[in-house]
Amino acid sequence: MVRALGISGSLTELLRYRSLLVSLTWRDIRVRYKQSVLGVGWAVLLPLSMMLVFTFVFTRAIDASSVLNVRMPYALYAYIGIVPWTFFAVSLSGCVNSLVANRNLVTKVYFPREVFPLSCIASSFADFAIAMTVLVGLVAYFHLSGKWAFTPHWTLVFIPVLVTVQIALTIGIGMLLAMANLFYRDVRQVFSVLIQLWMFVSAVVVPVPQDGSLLARVIAINPLVPLIGAYRDCVIYGRWPQVGPMLYATIVAVVLLIGGWVCFRRASFKFAESI
Amino acid sequence: MCDTVVSLSKVSKRFRLGATHDSLRDLLAGGIRRIFGAPSEQNGQSVFWALRDLDFAVRRGEALGIIGPNGAGKSTVLRLLAGILRPDGGEVVVKGRTAALIEVGAGFHGDLTGRENVFLNGAILGMTREEIRRKLDDIVSFAGLERFLDMPVKRYSSGMYARLGFSIAAHVDPDVLLVDEVLSVGDAVFRLRCLERMRELVGKGTTLIFVTHDMDQMRSICGRALVLEGGSVSYGGPAREAIEYYLGAMSRAYVHRPPDLIEGDQRQGDGIEVINLRFVNGGGDEAVWVRSQEQVRAELTFRVRRPIPRLIVELNMRASLSENLLSINSGRDDLVFDGTVGEHTVSLVFPRLPLSGGQYFWNVRMWDADSGAAEVDTPFRFPMVIDDEGRKTGALCLEHEWSVRRQPSLTAASAPAQPAELTYVGEEGQRESMPLR
Repeated sequence: MVRALGISGSLTELLRYRSLLVSLTWRDIRVRYKQSVLGVGWAVLLPLSMMLVFTFVFTRAIDASSVLNVRMPYALYAYIGIVPWTFFAVSLSGCVNSLVANRNLVTKVYFPREVFPLSCIASSFADFAIAMTVLVGLVAYFHLSGKWAFTPHWTLVFIPVLVTVQIALTIGIGMLLAMANLFYRDVRQVFSVLIQLWMFVSAVVVPVPQDGSLLARVIAINPLVPLIGAYRDCVIYGRWPQVGPMLYATIVAVVLLIGGWVCFRRASFKFAESI
Repeated sequence: MCDTVVSLSKVSKRFRLGATHDSLRDLLAGGIRRIFGAPSEQNGQSVFWALRDLDFAVRRGEALGIIGPNGAGKSTVLRLLAGILRPDGGEVVVKGRTAALIEVGAGFHGDLTGRENVFLNGAILGMTREEIRRKLDDIVSFAGLERFLDMPVKRYSSGMYARLGFSIAAHVDPDVLLVDEVLSVGDAVFRLRCLERMRELVGKGTTLIFVTHDMDQMRSICGRALVLEGGSVSYGGPAREAIEYYLGAMSRAYVHRPPDLIEGDQRQGDGIEVINLRFVNGGGDEAVWVRSQEQVRAELTFRVRRPIPRLIVELNMRASLSENLLSINSGRDDLVFDGTVGEHTVSLVFPRLPLSGGQYFWNVRMWDADSGAAEVDTPFRFPMVIDDEGRKTGALCLEHEWSVRRQPSLTAASAPAQPAELTYVGEEGQRESMPLR
């Protein structure tokens, strides 16, 4: 069988193995919540408790009100940042390990290796979807408590676009990470440090500086800043995302997606003997 | 329907010896060394050729066996065919859906139930969910695990694990089935069922490529076999002949290796060195392959370095590594040998070896009858193969005779009054055992 190297060949093959993608995703989800009392409840509890932690830190423990001029309850601000960020970070940390953790399958069975990082992303997407629905309840709570009024906007329809761009970005980076970690196990260690830093420069729980300083300009390279900002724009502020930064994030996502996928595909026949 | 389904032409595969660049530190160190002009570690010395210019083709519905010593490249061939590895030279062509059973239950997840694992593993082997749902009952009943289907597989025994794994792969209905030494797990009944299933698949047109060390399994399924040695085909032909060639080569390799290199040599005193134990058939030819019910002579050659006036020799035989089938001890036969310094050959003749077909292994023990001190106790490393032309007679093939005696019928009055006895009688009027072949 001639195995095509290009993305189109890869996609045809993936289509043939879609039930494997479903099964592996399902496995990841099942295994994650097996033997735990709360089960899928954790998909809700984790972002909620992170939200509570950051709310406590930034509104009670330290006085950060000058930085946090966010025109909405801080808890809501944090939650809208944490949920997409968690999806991004959990997907990537799954991807980093995906090939190495499935060593048995990589060396003993053939199927398109893209399935491993993709199923990691798909299973975190399930958590993301659950956590996003909780957002509805959270918004309702703050609205009904009277401290802050929510008005729905047409901008909500833009959310699927944001999610798509984010997934493209995640796939691209995830494939590169999975592949790199297979060849050099150092990648995982470096990743676990960098992902912490990355969170604080992505406007997840605190706004990033936008004062034109060097730091601000460096941070502007990060495609997650416009992406996470756009979630808040669409859900809370009711304004369309800024075209320039959003376009930039999309281009970065597409370039990484194609580049990451092609690299992964090219290297995949080396996986079994290099793992 | 004689089209070629699998073909390898001039296929080579190399592996790097040692772990080059397993961490970034090595990569950096390697890069710096290269910058400063130091010779790179990655020269020809660190490369191992697992396969060299391999050529073969398999037709649709053919069962090809691959045999060879460990490290000959058998598993590499299967992994190339499965697409897990890519050749460094040459071309591998496989037409149609391939299912590889390289490790039973690869991809099982302990926390999932048997049922969930069937779906997961089926998908790994390329089945759709619909297909798996349709075949679920067959898979489970083949494995005999109906009662345990909803139990997490981490609580399965290793046999149950293996049965489920094989059963899934056996129901993929592939065009090409690759099986790598997986039937050594599971009990005897299940092994037979697996063989039966493989035969059935081959009958339906599946191409089978089968790697095993069990020559009986190989002979019972494969029409043709390749002997791989050091990454290339050293013999290809009918399975029976290939097995004979392989076992012959293996026993010669044992003989040609100096004794201290043979693994697991249990005791080799300095007084006696076993040179060889070979088997000679009735015609006087050295034969690893002996016919059942014919004469065979075991010839033991050894060198005595220090005189042992009363030497006892014992030969033991096993069919597997479990227990002795036969133990022949010269001391029990009131025979001691005078072990003078020099080379000796002791022969032991079995006029008709009553063994059924299969592989047997012999060892040699010798000790001093006076002191009782063991001089030699070799591992079971001397092979002998019995050919009974596929007649399955169990472990033994004993001489036997039949007779039939018809009782007078009480109802049929016209029948002869005396009981009719039917005995097979030889030409000289003696009773003769039924011809065995």
